[in-house]
Amino acid sequence: MRIAEVDVHNPSGLHARPAATFVRAAAGFRSQISIRNVTRGSGPANAKSLLAVLGCGVERSHRIAISADGEDEAAAIEALQALAEGGFGEAAAS
Amino acid sequence: MPDPTQPMVGIVVVSHSAQIAQGVVELARQMAGPDVRLIAAGGGADGSLGTDAARIAQAIGEADAGAGVVVLADLGSAVLATKLALEIVEPEVAARARLSGGPLVEGAVVAAVQASAGDTLADVLEAAEQAAHMPKDVS
Repeated sequence: MRIAEVDVHNPSGLHARPAATFVRAAAGFRSQISIRNVTRGSGPANAKSLLAVLGCGVERSHRIAISADGEDEAAAIEALQALAEGGFGEAAAS
Repeated sequence: MPDPTQPMVGIVVVSHSAQIAQGVVELARQMAGPDVRLIAAGGGADGSLGTDAARIAQAIGEADAGAGVVVLADLGSAVLATKLALEIVEPEVAARARLSGGPLVEGAVVAAVQASAGDTLADVLEAAEQAAHMPKDVS
């Protein structure tokens, strides 16, 4: 299993569009992938489910832990960590 | 992205209002990306507020890529028209088309995202129904 912790900088946290972007990226890997909201203590939740990810209530400046378990876990963590650090494809991350 | 060789579940949005159906499809499209088949079937045959079973049937056919279709409908006769539509479409397509009990907007968005993530018909259907309890942090 591989784990990465990332601070979320999106203005509205991991809501709606960024959450959907994250879920779709996670679904591209065969590994089991989960997300935990370290700041709030919620999760772990299935990173391939939009409702589960939204349920973690990740807001701006929260810290999340992403874990992957499976044959492509290293690639999954690398990609998802980069996605989170890049603001989940949202331009306004700062 | 999930395995590009596997067909994705398609989504049909049925509303009495063509604009509502179109708007829900637009919103779900932005969340789910370009790959999932999302078809609006709103309004009556003459463009008035209403539903049209023939149009819904056509939409179900267009949405089906082989992995099945989840239909989200708004109220009363939209549900009845969808059930009628399922009797009109090809039996093979009807056999893998499901009418969701989920809420129109949230259900369509969640279903579209899970379809784009490569989920099975059963998983997309379940997610659409669970969307009724979508967290909105209103408390």
